[in-house]
Amino acid sequence: MYPILFLSFSGLITLFLGFFQEGKWVKPATILFLAIASISAFIDWNKPGAYFFNMLQVNNFNLLLSLVILITAILIVAISDNFKEIEYAHSAEYYAIMQFSLVGAIMMTNFQSLIMLFLGVEILSVSMYVLTGTDKRNLRGNEAAIKYFLLGAFATGILLFGIAMIYGGVGAFEIDAISGTLASNQAQSLFLYIGLVMLLIGLLFKLAAAPFHFWTPDVYEGAPTIFTLFMATIVKTAVVFALYRILHQSFQNMHLSWSYILAGCIALSLIIGNLSAVKQISFKRMLAFSSISHAGFLLLGLLHVSKTADKSLLFYSVSYLLASTSAFGVLLALKNERTENGRSNENISVFKGLATRSPFLSAVLIISMLSLAGIPLTGGFWSKFYVLTDAANDQFFYLIVLALLLTAVGVYYYFKPIITVFEKSDIQEAITINPIFKIIFVLTTLGTLVLGLFPDLLYGMI
Amino acid sequence: MEAVLIIKGIIILAIFALSLGIAAYETYFERVVAAYIQDRVGPDYAGPAGIFQPLADAGKLFFKEDFIPALADKSLFILGPSLAMLTALLTSAVIPFGDSFIYEGQKILVQGIEVNIGILWVFGIVSLGVYGILIGGWSSNNKYSLYGAIRAASQNISYELAMGLAIIAILMMTGSLSIRSMVEAQHGFNWNIFYQPLGFIIFLTCSFAECNRTPFDLPESENELVAGYHTEYSSMKLGLYLFSEYVNMFISSAVIASLYFGGFNYPGMDWVYSKFTSIWGATVGHNWATVIGICVLMAKIFFFIFLFMWVRWTLPRFRYDQLMDLGWKALIPLAVLNMIITAAAQLSGKPLWIGLILTLIIMLVIFLPAIKKRTVKA
Amino acid sequence: MDILGLLKNMTITHWSFYIVSMLTLFGALGTIMSKNPIHSVIYLILTFFSLSAHYIMLNAQFLAAVNIIVYAGAIMVLFLFVVMFLNLREENEELPKNSILIAASIVGGIIGITLIAAIRQTQIEKVNPYSFNTKTGLVETLGSLLFNKYLLPFELVSVLFLIAMAGAVMLGKREKGERHF
Repeated sequence: MYPILFLSFSGLITLFLGFFQEGKWVKPATILFLAIASISAFIDWNKPGAYFFNMLQVNNFNLLLSLVILITAILIVAISDNFKEIEYAHSAEYYAIMQFSLVGAIMMTNFQSLIMLFLGVEILSVSMYVLTGTDKRNLRGNEAAIKYFLLGAFATGILLFGIAMIYGGVGAFEIDAISGTLASNQAQSLFLYIGLVMLLIGLLFKLAAAPFHFWTPDVYEGAPTIFTLFMATIVKTAVVFALYRILHQSFQNMHLSWSYILAGCIALSLIIGNLSAVKQISFKRMLAFSSISHAGFLLLGLLHVSKTADKSLLFYSVSYLLASTSAFGVLLALKNERTENGRSNENISVFKGLATRSPFLSAVLIISMLSLAGIPLTGGFWSKFYVLTDAANDQFFYLIVLALLLTAVGVYYYFKPIITVFEKSDIQEAITINPIFKIIFVLTTLGTLVLGLFPDLLYGMI
Repeated sequence: MEAVLIIKGIIILAIFALSLGIAAYETYFERVVAAYIQDRVGPDYAGPAGIFQPLADAGKLFFKEDFIPALADKSLFILGPSLAMLTALLTSAVIPFGDSFIYEGQKILVQGIEVNIGILWVFGIVSLGVYGILIGGWSSNNKYSLYGAIRAASQNISYELAMGLAIIAILMMTGSLSIRSMVEAQHGFNWNIFYQPLGFIIFLTCSFAECNRTPFDLPESENELVAGYHTEYSSMKLGLYLFSEYVNMFISSAVIASLYFGGFNYPGMDWVYSKFTSIWGATVGHNWATVIGICVLMAKIFFFIFLFMWVRWTLPRFRYDQLMDLGWKALIPLAVLNMIITAAAQLSGKPLWIGLILTLIIMLVIFLPAIKKRTVKA
Repeated sequence: MDILGLLKNMTITHWSFYIVSMLTLFGALGTIMSKNPIHSVIYLILTFFSLSAHYIMLNAQFLAAVNIIVYAGAIMVLFLFVVMFLNLREENEELPKNSILIAASIVGGIIGITLIAAIRQTQIEKVNPYSFNTKTGLVETLGSLLFNKYLLPFELVSVLFLIAMAGAVMLGKREKGERHF
């Protein structure tokens, strides 16, 4: 609750900070604001309840979610490096919009009323549309922003229509009221079913799950890398937990109806994500398709209403956040490597010879790739393990088999960058890494390894 | 009951006829005022002092050839002027032209409809007014018409914002959207102009712009765009466009008079009311007092119509970028400022003259540098 | 004969409802069927207008006025403005492929059928005219709802608008060295 209020104001302050000393203070201030926001979240610790006439729900799990989102944001802001890669950068605006978008993300995880969900989705998406198009001189970026905006606005429209339908069926926006109506064992209004399907379409679009994934590769590739990272981590986490609250805490009695839709989406996401990622040359595009397959895995964790679903989802999100941050971070650290047309080289070939040029970066990259692929001793393995054990159930047995098979495919393409790292390159000069980057990399890589070696540290804590 | 309905019907018809009739005679006044300002004689052929000039004009327009360009979009070409006239006439429905008539113990309001959302209705219809111009200008399939139409659209959108913000200050003072309750809150000499001088200036400027009158008549500026959006129009279609402008002027004057100058209220109205009721009895006295109120409102409306004409024949036209700058960089910030001051004054509970002095000081602080710059340059 | 009887029994509210609904549908169909984008926009304005009439019949005067001001008065003017600037004429318009048309009509048809089924299945609560609060839908009620129950979302909408505004200014701003248009 308090991070929402705090970030709404701190975003404003950040906008004004852009005036002073050419925005030198914007980045440190943003990190400070995010840190204060994280601390302010603890005001509600062990005080479960609802705020503002049942608009927001506060409990320890939700608080943990906000904390995960805020800490990821701190990591991302720390490696953002004042946007030197963007021509005509307006860094104060970027940082302010990032803070505002976190308001949306936290609303999406803590909502109690569907109105708050809609608003959160809208705040998060509008900021993402803007941030996607920030590199104004980049035609691909413009294309990506327009594509994302048009499709995203349509998806939001469907989501809103779905909320209206649910209101028509129940007469209330609160998810408690919805689950109460569903538990009453009467014949339910058809509006509820239509509404749920539309709500799912809207949210699955934002999650980039197939068959609503068409925007993902272009947008991930076109957006500046730092915002791609933002999209891949924070947006995904927020949407997954919004889905968790809707499916597991309000529509759990309609499990039979939605689980088949979800199963279809999971199968499609896994197949499309993993198979398309195989032939990608661009690293960002590859990660885009990999994010589609990860969306499939996250949905797999939602498939079965069980008591451990929240734990495994949070574990999956955290390990995915850490691995993605390292992977995109390495790409950001290498942004001075140019292709012939003067743009940053974002193909997998940029990692050529990294093992000799910077053993540190290559270790970070390798561990993140291993974690994304789900190799044991990394967080990625345990996250897949927990999600699959949750979903293990007679009903969707074939899905688990499919997931395992496609994980094997995943190992193939995640190893491509790893192999490239050890290839010989003409350039031999060592790469200098910003000390802040170093700290972040150490943190994320250590986090991935710790999650892999002692999963109970996080899994048992929740 | 029947009789009440009939009287209501008569009132509505009267308002309708009044807006048309006044609009017709505004054309005459415009010529007279222009002639006076330019030291000419003006219309004097048709009837004594040219009093039948509007009739002659209408007759001329009716008998002219009704021409539709070959490449024009025919249906829209006809729709344009009709829409302009329709939107112009719709607004008068919610304006209270007088207090009420009492008939058989029932009060009949001198107003088309008394609705909860009066000012929003005016605002909504005014914002629709631009469609007539836009559609007409586009469908003429003429470059100049299109330019005129596009200018009209951007001008209206820009000035609507400041207008709405100026109205919000009034809304905060009255706490109601109904124009009648706004007027009733200004009982006697308690007019809003004394509390909202800045709001009045903003509203007046914006209503000039919304009516496309000089100095804001860029959609039809003759030395740039031939005749702007109605270049291709002739006969009564052109007549409708010109006519709708005069109707708009009448309605704007009525709205300004109601919002800022007390509508049908006038100083000493209570004394007049008590005298009338003591002479003629409660019913007839009330009705006569209402008639006086209507006359007072009409006088105010005519004053503002005169102001419209006065400004038209004395001020030169803005350049387009000046127009946009005035709208976005001057009027909107001022309107926001006005809103904040009003809100603060309302919340503080202090007497309003403190707010007034504060407004003056802030206006001085804002305008003094500008004035100084002017004098330095001169 | 049955239809005639029905027509006779219709009150003025029924009549206005059916007329306004027909207008709405006419406008909506015109929007998607007309080839000229300007005609489309004008049909859309008609649709918004008749929707406002529906709001008034539902005793939501404020919503009706705001719908006219915001949609018909501001957004559609901008729409028309942009379409006129682009000067799209019928000649340079391509009809979408048949396959898209067929797929779209199938999807639309399915949603339509489901919605009709849902409406048929629902039992609509009759409003009791004696206990009905006539202030429902008026500004005062709406305002007190917005500033009590829905205070948090109402205030947070401002964050959304601020993002949209800052983003639009940032993306649309002419940078140093860029040429004038």
